[in-house]
Amino acid sequence: MTSVPPPPPPATTGKKSGRRPSPRWAQYKRTWYFMRRNTLAMVGLGIILALVVFALYALTTPYAWTQMTQYCSYQPGTPNVGCEGTPGAVCIYSQGTVSPGPNCYVIPSSYPSFIPPTVTLIPFHPGPLPLGSFVSGQNSMTGYYFYNLYHGIVRGADWSLTLSVSIVGAGALIGLMVGAIAGSLGGAIDEVLMRLVDIMLSIPQLLFILIVVAVLSQLPIFGNSLSVHMTLLVLAFVAVWWPLYARIVRGQVLVTREQKFVEAARASGASRGRIIRKHIIPNSVYPVFVQMSLDVGAVPILIGGLVFLGFTQLFPSTYFPEWGTLAALSVNPGTLYGILDSTQLNVAVYIPWWMMLFPGMMLFLYAISVNFLSDGIRDALDPRLRR
Amino acid sequence: MRMWVYVVRRLLLLIPVLIGVMTITFVLVSAIPASTRYISYCGPAPLHGGQAALNAYLAHCNKLLGLNQPIYTQWGIYLANTFTFQWGHVGNNTAAVSAVPHIQGQLVTTVLGWLLPYTLELALLSLVIILLVALPLGRLSAVYRNRPIDQVARVMSFSGFAIPSFLLGSLALIAMVLVIQHFNLAGCSGSFREVWGSWPAAGCMPGSTPRNNDYPAWLQGGIVSTPTGFPTIDAAIHGQWLIAADTLLRMIVPALIIAYGSIAVLLRFVRNSMLEVMNLDFIRTARAKGASEATVIKRHAGRNSLNVTITILGLTFAFFIGGFPIIEEVFQLNGVGRILALSAQQPYDFGLIFGTTILFTMIVVSANIIVDVVYAFLDPRVRLG
Repeated sequence: MTSVPPPPPPATTGKKSGRRPSPRWAQYKRTWYFMRRNTLAMVGLGIILALVVFALYALTTPYAWTQMTQYCSYQPGTPNVGCEGTPGAVCIYSQGTVSPGPNCYVIPSSYPSFIPPTVTLIPFHPGPLPLGSFVSGQNSMTGYYFYNLYHGIVRGADWSLTLSVSIVGAGALIGLMVGAIAGSLGGAIDEVLMRLVDIMLSIPQLLFILIVVAVLSQLPIFGNSLSVHMTLLVLAFVAVWWPLYARIVRGQVLVTREQKFVEAARASGASRGRIIRKHIIPNSVYPVFVQMSLDVGAVPILIGGLVFLGFTQLFPSTYFPEWGTLAALSVNPGTLYGILDSTQLNVAVYIPWWMMLFPGMMLFLYAISVNFLSDGIRDALDPRLRR
Repeated sequence: MRMWVYVVRRLLLLIPVLIGVMTITFVLVSAIPASTRYISYCGPAPLHGGQAALNAYLAHCNKLLGLNQPIYTQWGIYLANTFTFQWGHVGNNTAAVSAVPHIQGQLVTTVLGWLLPYTLELALLSLVIILLVALPLGRLSAVYRNRPIDQVARVMSFSGFAIPSFLLGSLALIAMVLVIQHFNLAGCSGSFREVWGSWPAAGCMPGSTPRNNDYPAWLQGGIVSTPTGFPTIDAAIHGQWLIAADTLLRMIVPALIIAYGSIAVLLRFVRNSMLEVMNLDFIRTARAKGASEATVIKRHAGRNSLNVTITILGLTFAFFIGGFPIIEEVFQLNGVGRILALSAQQPYDFGLIFGTTILFTMIVVSANIIVDVVYAFLDPRVRLG
């Protein structure tokens, strides 16, 4: 390996007062110094900050999720069927007819059904303006439904970030506590807790989440409110999420508690609780951060996968402004097999690429930026890795 | 501790885990209103005959499903059945049955025996692809740390993790339709879904009619038997090389997508363990005694960083055997994952829910045991205990 010149020593001397900064502050500054040199980490940080700003902006938009959900039995030539009289109703009208009023959107008469037999294959239909236009999908129960992709993505920033951070955060916290207790106490407690972890890791997670949400959300005591439904969703995810963290932390704690500094702390008379809190946990959390960074980006993708499989009962309605859900709706079996079958009939194919691209892009940016940032932090914190 | 003592102890610990998993599943399923069970297993309620007929129907259903017994008796029977491999039947009128009709009313064990080989073949193929890509790339990444080659490798592998597989799979399916819709090796005809979407090629045997979503249609002509259940191996045993190649070919795209999504995890572990090993003293010793850089990386660092890799590979494979619900749904492959996802859709298939749960638990727990034992074999410093 070619030798890389060592970096200049980070400036730890205070500029104004001449006082040295506190060791902790100096440590932060040093970490930041090493992180700044890591391009990928900086790109990740930039994207994350942009997404957070986007989510904050979403909070200020006047569109609640209910106002954007609109089911219409769409028949060409008869606009607004089933859409009138609701506040914030979606107004749509067929191409070629007169706009019923302001804030109405054109639905091309040929979309999403396919143009009758031609031999041309049009992979990328220009379609209506991608962002800010209504796109539709097919739902066997209600016919076509329409939603505004732009508003979905804006509100989705809010929901995706909240859901993923709360699920992973709560899961990691519970896992950290359970793992630390099991690892440092050992004995029967360890055995019982780890069997519990084994049980929760062995249950098919998909099944668990689905049945919990499907069964509990239909119990009359929970009613039909959005907040209760989302709380159930988060709880179901947390229930399958914490055991992985517990196992990681326990493994790390078993290594850490044999280290010399723990022995030194014990020799100098520190209590067991203090050793766990001050010595074992802080030195066992690196793998937790790595796993968290992987998981935070994976949660919206997982939710999208569940919706793709047809588990729309995860949310109070088929359409929900969440990035994973939006991505899943773009390739729902109705759309997908419509496309596939139309190629067999040698008719024109419209691929609603904007429906796939924009939610997919948000999911991608979110997952990849969190990963890069955490990799950068890990590299900057680990003295063996920075060179 | 002796190796076999350790293995037996771990195997005994499987029992409480299995009981726990089955109990939690039982509690969850018991919370589902019983009426859905009647729909799944008992047939529709009588339309005529008034209350008397309805009562008779309910009594019949409760007796049939064992719901007339107290809940703890149900639970006990349930656990006993679990351990005696009486995993019940697939329902008559469930979401799983309407998607995969030929499993209707079959024993759950039989159905899992049909579907597992499909998933296993797919899992093995994806694992091979992952290994071929992640091992060399991870080492390169570690050796050229933070250089362009490392960053490109990491961005590429993470992008697989960050792109939803249902999106990528659907795009691949659409692309295959647009680009290679008339391409099929075994000379089968039919619409795209019949050619690419079923597995193995439905209607590829001369004289058999193409049927969508059908379990080996080419084997059901009464001409051949299925000695192993694995479509590729069976075709090869019967000398049907074209069908074997075709089956393999239609696995490649799903396998590539699965591998693309999972490479990042393994690459990360290979890279990190390589980085840890490269800083150790014996690497410096090897360099000092004049070993070439290639030898150091390949023989010294590479081999010593393998332990973690094997652990992760084992757990990944166990996870893979549990099926790929999303990819199998996109490509309409009848594997374990798809059937698991279908069984949890309303109307629920209770037999399949329990069957897949037991199977999944057994696979995960045994994989953990195998990985621990292999780990101890590879690294003499690891003590079993």
